[in-house]
Amino acid sequence: MLCQNCSKREATTHIKRVVNGEATEAHLCQECAAKLGYDNFFDNFSLNLPDIFSSFFGDSARALAGSRTDRCEKCGCSFDDIVKTGMVGCADCYDKFFDKLLPSIQRIHGRTRHVGSVPAEQLTETTATEKKEETAEEKIASLEAEMKKAIDAQNFEQAAVLRDKIKELKEDK
Amino acid sequence: MTWYQNSGKDSDIVLSTRVRLARNLRDFPFPNRLDKNECRKVNETVRDVLLAGDDSLFYTEMSALNSYQAVSLAEKHLISPEFASDSTGRALILSKDEDVSVMLCEEDHVRLQVIYPGLSLKEAFEKAEQLDSKLASSLNIAFDDRIGYLTQCPTNLGTGMRASVMLHLPALSQSTAISRLAATVAKLGLTLRGAYGEGSRPTGDIYQLSNQVTLGISEEAAIQNLQSIAEQIIAQERQARQSLLKDDVFIDKIYRSYGILRSAHMMSCDEFTSLISYVRIGACAGLLDVPVEKLTYLLVKMQPATINADAGEKYTSAQRDVIRADAVKKALE
Repeated sequence: MLCQNCSKREATTHIKRVVNGEATEAHLCQECAAKLGYDNFFDNFSLNLPDIFSSFFGDSARALAGSRTDRCEKCGCSFDDIVKTGMVGCADCYDKFFDKLLPSIQRIHGRTRHVGSVPAEQLTETTATEKKEETAEEKIASLEAEMKKAIDAQNFEQAAVLRDKIKELKEDK
Repeated sequence: MTWYQNSGKDSDIVLSTRVRLARNLRDFPFPNRLDKNECRKVNETVRDVLLAGDDSLFYTEMSALNSYQAVSLAEKHLISPEFASDSTGRALILSKDEDVSVMLCEEDHVRLQVIYPGLSLKEAFEKAEQLDSKLASSLNIAFDDRIGYLTQCPTNLGTGMRASVMLHLPALSQSTAISRLAATVAKLGLTLRGAYGEGSRPTGDIYQLSNQVTLGISEEAAIQNLQSIAEQIIAQERQARQSLLKDDVFIDKIYRSYGILRSAHMMSCDEFTSLISYVRIGACAGLLDVPVEKLTYLLVKMQPATINADAGEKYTSAQRDVIRADAVKKALE
């Protein structure tokens, strides 16, 4: 069996992990295993294996990767490079390839809109208040989504807590 | 004091709480497209901001550490194993109490971590936020209104925050409850995985519960979610322990484990981790008179690279087994 990371050398190291009750396995060659930190000293750790293989970019993203000539002006990274490595080149790449990246982002997170904090220096006075209003609305939406999940998981205690919070937020508005 | 010398809230079950933020500088490409010199520029830029007016922090290039020292930092959960495995272009900022560690040029330019003993998500997040504001006040941080903090890997977009708690769940691991639990938390956007070892049951029954989704959920909501699930798991584990402690066979296991730890001449890390798990339940239940901090301390300090790093020696595995057995014996006398 060939190494799943480099697909060049014979796999000699077998790595087995259980995440959320599901077993994942990887067969790596000695060199890749060492490179990825799986020598003897690392036996006790669990590495984030899915990150190693850029599996979150599905087939649709790979199909989009055809236009190889289109490159980010700042770092020279193409969309093809991003899909191959699973790594984005620089902050500007997100602007450049936003539409192409969005389906993958949606698949990873289930959502595509940030609702958390904003870097301190970007909070000018006007955007600060705008942001605040938006957050209240979106907070309710995100809590509602969470409540639905909790109900699906039959976690009614958690769902009740969330329901009260949503009520509170709605009353505050 | 470091997290492993101290105990905190719910320390009978929660070993530590970590909050990690991923940040990048807008003016530099992400680490995978930087050479060594550019990495150094990034590292020193961040160093100058964070170390200004704060003498609790110090900076080191990873190439200045030998491999045992680097891996030991990973064994203490201060850096990632991946960060320890390759020192090229990388640097570390660490606080004297080891509660703050900042990996520079890991997967992102900045991976800022706060680790506290016990369950203290809010406190850890507040501390991380404080350091984050210090960064943002002097540096141009890569951020987009739509998708939040920009990270090299799209899995961390949004808040760029991973919060996690390390849980000791021996009683839940005895039954099938743990796999059902893992499936449930997955539906709630969290991950439960073994902290040590491979296979279906992690060594020492130590698990890590962390948030999975970072986009479309605020930091506060993610923390609150993690906190409430952690609290439910803690309650379930306590309940499961109650019934386990009625079983003479199990109680016998606790005392036997204690006996082996206090008398063996050689002790592998795996064996040690399994035995100390029983002793920990015994100590928390009041059967054994051992402070729980001492057990956490041993759990961290008896790991292979940490033994070598503390001694400044290149001991072989067999030599370490003798040293470990001896150190554990002394500590539990």
